[in-house]
Amino acid sequence: MVHNLRRLWPFLALLVLWEVAGQFQLVAGGALPALSDIAVRFWADRADYPGHVQATLVASGAGFVIGNAVAVAAGLLFTLVPVTARVARGLNIAIFALPPIAIAPILALTLDGMAPRIVLAALGVYFVTMQATVTGLSQFDSRAGDLVRAYGGGRGAVMRFVQVRGALPAILSGFRVAAPNAVLGAILAEFGGGGRWGLGTYLLGSLGRGEPARLWGIGLTATLIAGLSYAVFALISARTLGSTRAVSLNPAVPAGGDAERGKWLVTLASFLLPFAVWWGFLWVLQVPAMLGKTPYDIVQYLFIGPGAAAAQGKLLAALAETIPITLVGMAAGLAFAFALAVSSQLVPAFTRAFLPVALITQTMPLVALTPLLVLMLGRGSAVTLWITVSVTFFPAYVMIAQGLSQVPRAALELPRAYGASAWRQLRLVAIPASLPWFFAAARLTAPRALLGVMIAEWLATGRGLGNLLNQSRGYMDFGMIWAVAVTSVVVSVAFYQVALLIEQRVLRRTVAQRDD
Amino acid sequence: MTDAPAGITIAGLSKTFGAGGRAVEALRDVSLICPPGSFTALIGPSGCGKSTILRASLGLEPVDAGRVKIGGLAPAAATRAGLTGVAFQDAALLPWRSVAANVALPLEVLGRPVGAAKGRIRDLIALVGLKGREDALPGELSGGMRQRVAIARALVSEPKVLFLDEPFGALDQILRRQMNIELQRIWAETGVTTLLVTHGIDEAVFLADRVAVMQAGPGRIVEVVEIPLPRPRDPALFSDPAFHHLCDRIATLLHAGAAHGA
Repeated sequence: MVHNLRRLWPFLALLVLWEVAGQFQLVAGGALPALSDIAVRFWADRADYPGHVQATLVASGAGFVIGNAVAVAAGLLFTLVPVTARVARGLNIAIFALPPIAIAPILALTLDGMAPRIVLAALGVYFVTMQATVTGLSQFDSRAGDLVRAYGGGRGAVMRFVQVRGALPAILSGFRVAAPNAVLGAILAEFGGGGRWGLGTYLLGSLGRGEPARLWGIGLTATLIAGLSYAVFALISARTLGSTRAVSLNPAVPAGGDAERGKWLVTLASFLLPFAVWWGFLWVLQVPAMLGKTPYDIVQYLFIGPGAAAAQGKLLAALAETIPITLVGMAAGLAFAFALAVSSQLVPAFTRAFLPVALITQTMPLVALTPLLVLMLGRGSAVTLWITVSVTFFPAYVMIAQGLSQVPRAALELPRAYGASAWRQLRLVAIPASLPWFFAAARLTAPRALLGVMIAEWLATGRGLGNLLNQSRGYMDFGMIWAVAVTSVVVSVAFYQVALLIEQRVLRRTVAQRDD
Repeated sequence: MTDAPAGITIAGLSKTFGAGGRAVEALRDVSLICPPGSFTALIGPSGCGKSTILRASLGLEPVDAGRVKIGGLAPAAATRAGLTGVAFQDAALLPWRSVAANVALPLEVLGRPVGAAKGRIRDLIALVGLKGREDALPGELSGGMRQRVAIARALVSEPKVLFLDEPFGALDQILRRQMNIELQRIWAETGVTTLLVTHGIDEAVFLADRVAVMQAGPGRIVEVVEIPLPRPRDPALFSDPAFHHLCDRIATLLHAGAAHGA
């Protein structure tokens, strides 16, 4: 109990600080209202909330169920028939990397009613749970597997008796991490898709009014829903499994691929599958050609058609604005996280106090956070940079700190035992030990950084890809909407692949050195 | 046990792990015959391939040459027919299953009815000294208890042939002696043909009719030592000069290999 109270200290301090800052209008001339003002405003708006909250809950709940069902089934398939995992690799990465805000308008064009929200929520859930399922199913006790095989049991028997039940903790932790993603997905679809109800709609409608207290109320409500959904699954897995494993993004390095027959064929299939799914989606739904653009239409629009040069120019100009700031923000966020995580090795108490706050901030849906940051930082590049840094910084910090905490105490202290200075100790052990986590963080946060930049551009700065997307919606320039969506997915996947390549390069070198 | 126990015939097993410059010859032309109802111990230094022989006998490991017959059947057919029982060095219990459900696992894998075997499962749990712990989860048991669950599990399918891969390797010396005495009793009661892989010389001599001594690099059987000590054997045997004489002989064979290998 006393221990729990001590852990709550940073929160209480933060809340008090917030109230004081709000009361005396210390931040950006009152853009950060006091907690009490937010509560008062919330009470005044109380009639608005139930409808919006309900709409968001229904969409994210349905998306959560559908996305997880597909994800678990896919995980089973990928484990039982490994070649399917390799063929689906491109599609999986595309789903992981796609900025939801970019495809929200597309879904709104091609689907009706709640469907866009449910699909976006499901897409947000799929990758996390699919990967957790595959990890859980493949990390079973091989000796228990041997036992089943020693009684003539085949692959199916091992799966049934050992793997499925053994994967349950991992799958449940996948659900836990995925739950807030479903909420974010639903809100983003509300944002980009119109409609009357939903927290995203409410937020969008309140954006122009300059009422910080209301925006904060909506943002905090969204955070609360996301946080609660996380907590519910944390509770379920603690109850059923007694597992208290800390959860963050899975840093496992995807295998670089083995040299085997038909490898290029699999790679080709993996590359083509996302396009096949895209085409199939339009064909199955019989989307009118004016709204739904096929890959061929996009090529036509950007390279062949009469307006191709103009469209290309707009797109390239937007990319030139979006990409540099994303990279700069990511680099700053990663560097900051790395420095803090490594140096907090020296001050462990700081880490303990800081981690819960970092995790809470991560739960706040980006789309709710952005308007608040716009209030405080204005509509310049500062807001974009800040979002990118925060989006990259927190997961990277959590991952690197967790990675460091897995290094055996003895290994960390060994240099100390030989009289090494604190700095030398860092250089010899802590920094090399945290490098893999640093690269994993870069790879896994890149798509989120792009998403953050695009949201900021859409809502605040009026620049770059996000703005181009928003404008094209206004002009009903369907070709451009699709072109921006596809481009942003390609850019995001490229970031991911480049980070992965560097990661594999660097890790292979360290492993090779160890072998010598 | 209505049918007579089946024997094990291992003929000319060879196995090489890896390929090219890194290839390791794990087994070279290993042959061994375990007559029905006999108790054979396989002893040797770490990495001599004794576990590989056992895994190959169960069809868990493909071999480059040679074959194994259990009661006249190939390993895959024998295991599927439920002729064999097995316990590994690690109990490998499923953590979410109770003791009784873990013991029942082989029956489920073999597709036999578990309900009809309720009584036998209870008896087996009593036989290994865990009466009253039927519903406990593995996490609530000590290492020795878990290993005893694994022994009960190995017997639940009423096997004709029992494969034991250092089943007591992780136990302390006192518990190990105790388990050796219990294993001898179980073997005498069931008459099951047993192949025990171990690196404990006294354990091998105490339990077995014959001890096959292996050397590494490449893994091969150098000699099969007959153990003509009368049965039933009791703990007093551990201080018998004849017992020590046999132990010394096996130790000498093992050391000869170590001297060459080094």
